[in-house]
This record gives sequence, C-alpha cells and structure tokens, in this order.
Amino acid sequence: MVCIIHFTVEIIVLTQHDRYGEDGLRICDAFVNNQGVIHRWFRQWEARQIVQALGSIPSVVILSQVGITSVQIWKKVMTDVQDSFYRRHTPEQVLLAHANRIDFDHPDAIDMPLFAACLADLKSCKQTNIPIYSFSEHQRLEETQYLYGAAVIITEGILALHDPHLRALYDLKIFVQCDSDLMLARRIRRDVKERGRTVDGVLDQYLRYVKPSYDNFVLPTARHADIIVPGSDNSMATASRMSTPILPPPEPWQNLIVIPETPQLKGILTKLRDRTTSRADFIFFTDRLATFLVEKAMEHLPHKLRSVVTPIDVEYTGQELDGHLCGVSILRSGGPLEKGLRRVVHNMPIGSLLIQSEAKTGEPLLLHLALPVCIRERHRAEGTWVFLLDAQIGTAASAFMAIRILLDHGVRQDHIIFVTFLVAREGGIVVLRKAFPDVKIVCSAVDNYLTERWLECIDVEGEGVDSETAGRKVWAVEPGMGHIGDRYYL
Amino acid sequence: MVLQNAPTSQTTPASLPPSVFTLPQTAQLEALYTIIRDKDTSRGDFLFYSDRIIRLLVEEGLNHLPVVPKTVETPTGAIYEGVGFEGKICGVSILRAGEAMESGLREVCRSVRIGKILIQRDEETAQAKLFYSKLPPDIAQRYVLLLDPMLATGGSAMKAVEVIMEHGVPEERIIFINLISSPEGLKTFCGKYPALRVITGWIDQGLNEKAYIIPGLGDFGERRFEPSLFVCDDASDRRLRYCL
Repeated sequence: MVCIIHFTVEIIVLTQHDRYGEDGLRICDAFVNNQGVIHRWFRQWEARQIVQALGSIPSVVILSQVGITSVQIWKKVMTDVQDSFYRRHTPEQVLLAHANRIDFDHPDAIDMPLFAACLADLKSCKQTNIPIYSFSEHQRLEETQYLYGAAVIITEGILALHDPHLRALYDLKIFVQCDSDLMLARRIRRDVKERGRTVDGVLDQYLRYVKPSYDNFVLPTARHADIIVPGSDNSMATASRMSTPILPPPEPWQNLIVIPETPQLKGILTKLRDRTTSRADFIFFTDRLATFLVEKAMEHLPHKLRSVVTPIDVEYTGQELDGHLCGVSILRSGGPLEKGLRRVVHNMPIGSLLIQSEAKTGEPLLLHLALPVCIRERHRAEGTWVFLLDAQIGTAASAFMAIRILLDHGVRQDHIIFVTFLVAREGGIVVLRKAFPDVKIVCSAVDNYLTERWLECIDVEGEGVDSETAGRKVWAVEPGMGHIGDRYYL
Repeated sequence: MVLQNAPTSQTTPASLPPSVFTLPQTAQLEALYTIIRDKDTSRGDFLFYSDRIIRLLVEEGLNHLPVVPKTVETPTGAIYEGVGFEGKICGVSILRAGEAMESGLREVCRSVRIGKILIQRDEETAQAKLFYSKLPPDIAQRYVLLLDPMLATGGSAMKAVEVIMEHGVPEERIIFINLISSPEGLKTFCGKYPALRVITGWIDQGLNEKAYIIPGLGDFGERRFEPSLFVCDDASDRRLRYCL
C-alpha cells in the first residue's frame, strides 16, 4: 500500500484552517479522492487505512456509492453501513429486488445525478443531505443523513468512475484491482453470512449480473484512473490555491451597531466589568443586558403591514415580522445570550457551534455542530434570518469561522445578525468587516484595546480557551469584562 | 430595507407635554403592539408580547433615575470609568391590571419592593375612589415606578398619585409607566402633575363615548388574567371580588 501512504502525506496540507482566506472566501475546495475499487471488503479496508493514516485532519468523509458511509470527526469514527445512492424503486421493482431479479451492478441502478450533486456540495464546502438506502426493504428511505465540514472526501464504489460528471469532481482517481476468484469467494462468504442468502442465489446473481457488469462497466473505467492499484505510476493530482483580491472596505461601516449609551446601560456595563461583582449579580445583569440587546437586534429585521381587529372591534393596521428567524450560539460564551433570546422570541430554535482554539496554533477548530433544521436544508437556509450569539468579538477567529459555516449552508450574508456584548475596536472586527461587510453586528459597547496576555493570570476571549493550556499567550479585550463564559457558568 | 418601515398608527400630538417620553417608534415595536391589539391573539402570546413591551418601558423608565460616577477595576486589571445606580426604588401597581406589569418589572429590577393600590369608580359620585392601599413603609425615601397599563381618562392614575404623594413622595420622584395612553388622558394627567414623568409605549387616537381607548387593546387585565372574573360588567360586583 505504498501509494496510499504516499497519498496521505500529500493531502495532509489540506487542514481545515486552510480552507478560507482572510477575505472569508474559500481558497480551496474540499479534496475529493475516488477509489473505483473492485471488492467491497478491500475498499472498506483501504478507506479505513486512509482515515487512520490521516489522523490529525479534522474531518474526513467516506462517501459510498454502494458501500459504507463513515464520518470521522476528531478521531471518532462513526460508521453507518448504508448503501446510499441506489435509485428509489417502484413497488414492482421492490418485489423483483427481493427475488434477486434486479441488476444492482448496472450503472442505471445508481442515482448518478444525485450522487454528483451531493458530492459537488461537499466539495464546495457546503452542507448536503445524503439519501439512505435500506437493504432489508430494498428501498430508499425518506430520511437523509446530514453531512457538513469535510476537508477530505473519499468516495468509493464499483461504478464510481463510470459517470463523467462524477469523474469531473474528483481530484484523484484510484482504481484498485483484485483477483476474480478471490472476489467471488469473498462475495459468497459475505452474502451468506451477513445477508442470509443461499450459495445458489449468490452464484446466480454473480453470473447473471455481477460478472457482466464488471466486464462491461467496471473494468473499462480503469482507464480514467490516475492510479491503478497494484499500479506503477503514482502521479498525484493536487488542489491548487486560488488567490482572491481583498476589496477595500466601504466607509463608514454602518453594520457595526452599538446600542445608544443610556445611564442604565452604562450602569449595567459597570456592574459587569467590575471584578468584584458577585456571580449572582453578574448572571442577573448579563441576562438583563442580553434581553435588551436582542430587543435592539430585532429592530433590524424586516417587517410588513398587517391588519387586525381589536377587542373593541376597531380595525388597526400595524406591522408584523416578515421572515423566519433562528438562533445559533457559539459555545460556550454564546450561552449567556440565550436567555435573552428566549425572552424575546417565542419558541426560537437555537442551534450551537462548539468552536475551540487549537492549543498549539490558536487556530479555531469546529468540534461540534448542531444546527436548526431550517439551516441544515439549503432551500430553507436561504430565507432564514440568523441571530449569531457570542459574548465578545476579540480576535474574531471563532466569529469568522461561525459566519463562514452559516454561509456554507446557504444563509445569506445580510441575513446574519451577530449579537454580542463587546467588540474590540482594533481586533478581528477589522477582518470581519473586510470579509463579511453585509453581516450586521449589534453590540453594547466597543472597547479600545485587544492585548496579549498570559492565560494563567488572566482569562480572555469568549472564544473558547482550553484550560489545559495555561501559560500560553492569549488575547484579551480591554478594559473588557473578563472571561464572560467563566463568570457566567463557573 | 428594514428601518424605513415607518410606524403608521402613532399619534404624536404637536403639543406633547415635555414630561412625556415614548419608546423609539420602530417597526419592531409596532409589530409587538399589533400582536397584543389583535383580539384573536391567545392569552399565552398576549402575556409573552406584553411582557416584552413592559420590559422595554421599565428599561426606559429607569433611565430617568440618577446615576453617580463610579470607577471599577475589570478582571483584566484595567480601570473603567463607569456609573453606579443611585437611589432606592419601588414599584406601585394599580390593581388589577397594573399587577400584570410586575413580572416584567422584576425581570429588570430584581427583588424590587412592590406596593399596591386599588381604585374603583364610585358609582354614586362617578369619581375615582381609593379602596385599598399597601405601600412600602419607607416609600418616602424611594423613587416610585407607578404601573398601570392603560391611561384612558387618567382618573385612577391621578388618584393613585394623590395617594402616593400623601405618603410623602414628591411628584418629581414618581415615574408613571403605561403601555398605551390617550392624548386626552395625557393632557389631563400632565396638566395636574407637570413634574411627574410619564413613560408611554404608544399614544393612540383617542377615547370613544364609553371612554375606551381607540384602537386600544380591550381590557388589559381581562386579557392577561382569568376572563371569567370580569364577565360581570357590574362595577359593584367587581369591587366585591377585588376586596376579597
């Protein structure tokens, strides 16, 4: 497996942080590798080898035409044995399938356009919803599997190289050959053991469908491969980086909205900034400020006219909110804003993104995401307004990543309203402004400084700092409120 | 795109008394009023959206309280020149609709003391008459947030102010908070108490022949609390229930 090892070394450069430039635009697509492999067991084994060898890459997706789907997020491998892309069958076809009378090895059995569409979404770093096929029912299920955030995508399937649209999406194509006798022996063993078939049935299917399909459709696709395993030429396709010019920001930036400073607001901020404020007071005033901030943020949503009749039977023409709204909180520090959001918006779906800084580099990493359904489905995401919550914007690393994730899902830039307590004037806000000029930021105060500090003496940044890495340099908003998440929760 | 949606129903009399303050008239605020004015709005929604307005009103009302300069040290070791809250406050609600504003008040002012006043119209004299009051003993040293959701003719509010001032609170330390007021009521009320600040969410068109606010939102207390209590329109019966 020399080629596999070589291959892993080459793609390791494509880590998650490299996907977006300072302008917030994608600098490279997800890397798509394909294996048109003959034997499933071998395909699975090889795919897992690759995943294991990749190790430090945050997310690898193995997308299967007719095989497994496994998703690895931070070394935890979830595996669903699902054959994904078989077409939906009519009731007659289902009966035939149960009688082994359907040729599942023919290219027409697979929904190639859907496969290509899902793969194209993932490759362009967007979310996708993968169909699920049930072997026991011989039918595509209504439910789908949501996938997002793949840095490396490995597709596998005997017909993975058949469709020209699919081939156009791959960065690297590998064809793995195997001895026919071995393939048949493994097929019999698997189908009898795992799928409860008879040897006669398996052989019947093999001679009727599998072998002709291999000769007619599978073997010829080997010529499209960059690498044939066992092969001699290990030439590589590499993803190229595109550079995008950074546009000069428009002046002034009216999308940074600081709510007017009233005596009460200044009093609340004084309470929150004071290091001697008790935890009970801190929580109370945080909730009060969050409620007020969200009320102010709501003023930036569109409204339309609405007529109602009052209880004394007078007609009144007022307004109503025009648009669907949901919240996404950047954990942990977005949490202190959630109570305010709940007080202002009835039955609000609130999703979350767990973004933590990597200890060595300080780069943000997406550890977990749970987005509301209205964002997971792209056609709904396009019409959804999102309140993105985080306690403060210092370096803006996690804000940047969170906005990028929403955009990947199809949320419009001008539909994102970032609600936060504090913004550091000279901090990452400058980068955010350049990258996402249409995102609105509603905050209660802008602080003058962002200073570098040692974590052990001071806590910083609502943006997730790992407590195990005490003693390293971090960025603090000054004068700030300290670590809002810690003061609210711990 | 958003803020151009100018409010359509706000009546701002040219001669608004200087002691009257309204909330910023945003499309968002008008949407809240549209919900609570709608007779088909459920009790749950009425509660939720009227609470939102009440919180905004209380936040605005508190801005009329004094603050003093205060310097604090932040957890990062920096110095911040802020302000501290000055002066004790209490709420006084006019039963029973005013009680509906208490939860909103407590969400903004934690564990604030709340006095109560019951005022009903005396059927014989047609004047507002005090039936009951229970106020904090040290009310004379406090700022008072007077709560009553609707200012129609202003009769009961003026009676309440009279009671509070009898307890030693000067006029300028009372802030009257209501959701909807009529131009007539405002004129009468501010004519009598010019130094008393009124925070109102919305100024409606006026009063009809039954002295209901038009377009209004009906009986606030009735929509907020159990409606069966108010089925009987007989004032004496209502008085009986209150006194119990």
